[in-house]
Amino acid sequence: MSTPKQATELSYEEARDQLVGVVRELESGSVPLSEAMRLWERGEVLAAICQRWLDGARATIERAKSVQAG
Amino acid sequence: MPLESSPEQPQPLRVVVNALKDYVERTGAIWVEGQVIQLTRRAGQVTQFLTLRDKLAEVSVKISTTTAVLDAAGPLVEGQVVTAWVRPTLWSRSGSLTFECRDIRPSGEGRLLAHLEQTKRALQAEGLFASELKKPLPFLPRRIGLVTAEASAAERDVIENVRRRWPAAVFEIRYALMQGANCALDVADAVAVLDKHPEVDVIVIARGGGSLEDLLPFSDAGLARAVFAARTPVVSAIGHETDTPILDLVADVRASTPTDAAKRVVPDAAAEAERVAQARLRSEQAILGRLASEQRQLDALRSRPVLRDPSATIDIAAQRLHDLAGRLGRAIGVRLDGEADTLTHTIARVRALSPQATLQRGYAILSTADGVTITSVTDVMPDETIVARLLDGEIAAAVIDVEPADQPSDENEEP
Repeated sequence: MSTPKQATELSYEEARDQLVGVVRELESGSVPLSEAMRLWERGEVLAAICQRWLDGARATIERAKSVQAG
Repeated sequence: MPLESSPEQPQPLRVVVNALKDYVERTGAIWVEGQVIQLTRRAGQVTQFLTLRDKLAEVSVKISTTTAVLDAAGPLVEGQVVTAWVRPTLWSRSGSLTFECRDIRPSGEGRLLAHLEQTKRALQAEGLFASELKKPLPFLPRRIGLVTAEASAAERDVIENVRRRWPAAVFEIRYALMQGANCALDVADAVAVLDKHPEVDVIVIARGGGSLEDLLPFSDAGLARAVFAARTPVVSAIGHETDTPILDLVADVRASTPTDAAKRVVPDAAAEAERVAQARLRSEQAILGRLASEQRQLDALRSRPVLRDPSATIDIAAQRLHDLAGRLGRAIGVRLDGEADTLTHTIARVRALSPQATLQRGYAILSTADGVTITSVTDVMPDETIVARLLDGEIAAAVIDVEPADQPSDENEEP
């Protein structure tokens, strides 16, 4: 990651890929302690973005289906 | 012409045959009407043979003729009704009866068909029927051009069947004469008008069944050329399944009947709606499946220990710290122990060197009143005050007498 984008600009795929990266770094154990805390916080933010995206997508489909049926 | 004969006085065969030959050939040439059966042209031969059959009765004869005569007759097909000018001939060698034909021509209906055949061949040679030039029909035409007779069964058939398949179909109808002398021109005009219409994406020419004469205009060369020239695809729906006017060959699509044409020009709305519903269902299932899979992946990531319980990272660091502290403590302890040992040894050595032990054994340290240690009897004089340092204090004493120990040299006896 050269320049990390603002969290709000990330696509679902970007957020998920970054989350995978965070987990990998933390699990390697080679991260300094102060850095580890920061990483964990970023991981939580990324996971929240992904979940929001998935929930939004499901809601869109449900809406479209109800419009179709109604 | 009676010939006398009896079993005792028979006539020679040749006489009989020759007599018959005379009789037959006296008939002379005659025009006959019949159907052509078995016409096989032999290439490179002058003499050609065909069989002529009566139109109604089971009577057929062999006709011999020449290539020139056949060529002059125009295209002849088997089953065709012809009139032929024939001369009966009896061959004396074989006794067989043949007819020599000097002229043969299609009769009545045969002439019509022959003319049609000629037209067809000419147009084919011009390439009007070429399959690669046929235009595909649009899937869903904006408007359907229709050339037909007003209030005819064909018109009704086309419109009803199209609307049944695709209720929203829009027609652009040009009524035309569909038989008679002006039919070909009328239909050609209608086609041209519809072709110019910007929204007409397909043209259907529809006419119900009829006799050969009725359908003749649809084999007109001019009409064929007009249809060929049209940029819009043309569907020919003339007569019944078995009728094949030339229009069928030049059109982009040949429908066997007006009803069949309806099937070709519009899709079936019900079938299409079903297909769309299916596609929609499948795409919905696909996206839901994808979302479920992504959700599973996300859940898996989130349940990893490093994310779920970040204190684990801290615990690991704390553990490392604890280990290091332990090592530190042990390390310093070892060092201190070492130092303590060294110290103990040094103290022992110092102690060993100290005069305390000597004093403890009862020795005294003598020194002058000035504090200078006396190490020799020569350091003092009688009556001099000296100090004796014992373990537990000092004694001030005076020298009473000095007595050197037995020495080999006497220099110490100097007063």
